Amino acid sequence: MSDEQETMSELEKLEAHARSMGGPEKLARRREAGLLNARERVDYILDKESFLEVGLLGTSSVVPEDRDKTPADGKVTGYGLLDGRQIGIVSNDFTVKGASSSLTNMKKIGHVKRVATERGMPLVFLGESSGARMPDNMGSKGMGAMLGNDPTQYVRFRETPWASAVLGPCYGSSAWYTCLSDFTVMRKGAVLAVASPQLASMAIGEAVDPQELGGWELHAETTGLIDTFAETDEEALDLIRRFMSYMPAHNRETPPVMPASEKSGDALSKIVPENRKRVYDVHRVLDQVLDDDSVFELKAKFGRVAVTALARLNGRVVGVVANNPMVKGGALDAHACEKITSFLVLCDSFNIPLLMFVDTPGFIIGKEGERQRAAAKIMNFMTALQMFSMPKLSVIMRKSYGQAYLNMGGGRNTDEVLAWPSAEVSFMDPTYATRVVLWGRSEEDSPEEFAEVREKMSKDNAVWDMASSFAVQHVIRPEDTRSNLIRLLSFHEDRRTAGIGKHAMANWPTGY
Amino acid sequence: MARMEVKSEVTGTVWKIEKAVGDKVAEYDDIMILESMKMEIPAPAPADGTVVEIMVAEGVAVEEGQVLAIVET
Repeated sequence: MSDEQETMSELEKLEAHARSMGGPEKLARRREAGLLNARERVDYILDKESFLEVGLLGTSSVVPEDRDKTPADGKVTGYGLLDGRQIGIVSNDFTVKGASSSLTNMKKIGHVKRVATERGMPLVFLGESSGARMPDNMGSKGMGAMLGNDPTQYVRFRETPWASAVLGPCYGSSAWYTCLSDFTVMRKGAVLAVASPQLASMAIGEAVDPQELGGWELHAETTGLIDTFAETDEEALDLIRRFMSYMPAHNRETPPVMPASEKSGDALSKIVPENRKRVYDVHRVLDQVLDDDSVFELKAKFGRVAVTALARLNGRVVGVVANNPMVKGGALDAHACEKITSFLVLCDSFNIPLLMFVDTPGFIIGKEGERQRAAAKIMNFMTALQMFSMPKLSVIMRKSYGQAYLNMGGGRNTDEVLAWPSAEVSFMDPTYATRVVLWGRSEEDSPEEFAEVREKMSKDNAVWDMASSFAVQHVIRPEDTRSNLIRLLSFHEDRRTAGIGKHAMANWPTGY
Repeated sequence: MARMEVKSEVTGTVWKIEKAVGDKVAEYDDIMILESMKMEIPAPAPADGTVVEIMVAEGVAVEEGQVLAIVET
């Protein structure tokens, strides 16, 4: 065999070993459990044969005897096509030392992250890792040499969209990158937490259930750290592809345009009940207004009094914020404020216009809200809305009261306000306002006076005075909402910047 | 047979109780209507079953998360 042939066979041997991951036994166990392995996940999410791997031959470079036991050093990294667009991708291989963070694989992640950011490609992060590798990181030598050493490792300026999937245990770096992402999907059964349940049990001396510590229900309903969840790996990866279909490749371009739906929105007049106290599900309104099958709701089980969704209107991507009277009457709470704030940051950072659908009796007031720092959350939401530099339109369908009127786009906080004839706007619901105005008197003693004041206030809340003073720019029939929004949005396209926003919130946190 | 709790999603007042102990209910049927923020907030059945217990009366104040009724499936 010539020298050249020997070198070639050495390369083939090393490549084959790198692709062998944690070995046939571990891979077979995953298959039996219905889990894809790290390379199958990459192949599944990317277009066929489009993966260009970076650092295939990387291995542990700290502990010499680990060199042969760490194919690709437990993190598969590279570039590829996702639905025809170029992206960067990181897939954690749990079968190699639990995909723990090491010197080499952190360089691999950093490289792909840097290239994706500087060259304007989305980044996909498939999480399943145990945390920092031991003993590599131990001692002051380990810490000094290994962890970090990259002053931009956890900084987001949202130059390009990031999506992550929580597909197994995600502690340490997988948890951090998940929380830095613009979109996160979690497979049921996976765990997202700062540290493993075992470590948590040791540290605090009590049994910790993994799902209670960081399962999908906790993160979907209570923390809001994930945007959605899936039954299987495949479903989770499909949801990342769906999210990316609404995103531009980077913040200097506008999102992809799709063919528009032909629809009228005729049924809109029948959805909102005439009785001002009755509830309804705002999803039915959104389905009528937006393109068919285009509504992609984020954090559907968190802060449910409001709906945040990416969608398309006449083929163009829009962000939707809607009050949902079905839950708590649509009264806004602290969680909803957090959810809306993060959604406004997302849309503004990636040049997505905003539509607001308004029907809220106001912010929920009371002890629980104050403990959740409601006042500050309301202001974060308000600041984000005022910094929002893409076109923003709001539709007052029914109630819009108090500070929530401003947060939901009233008072020049959206570019144009549309109102249905059923709109009612004031500082306070007439029932409460009557009691404030007639403070000290009882309704039982002077029922007529109370009724008179209440009736006058209710009448004053009708939309006509707002139209007359140009506080709303359009009063429209509900069934004309879709066509009006399509036309108005086209007039509001920013021709001078070719639709690129100011991105004033691009460096805001990814979690609230 | 599972006992499922019907919890209040808001702090408010019980306005109208629509079902009685022994009534059969389908998932999403309103068991009672609460009032909060001047809105009528339904408290629906979490699953198909029978109302076996109602813990509140019309007019009483309830807290967020308080158990209002039990449905047995």
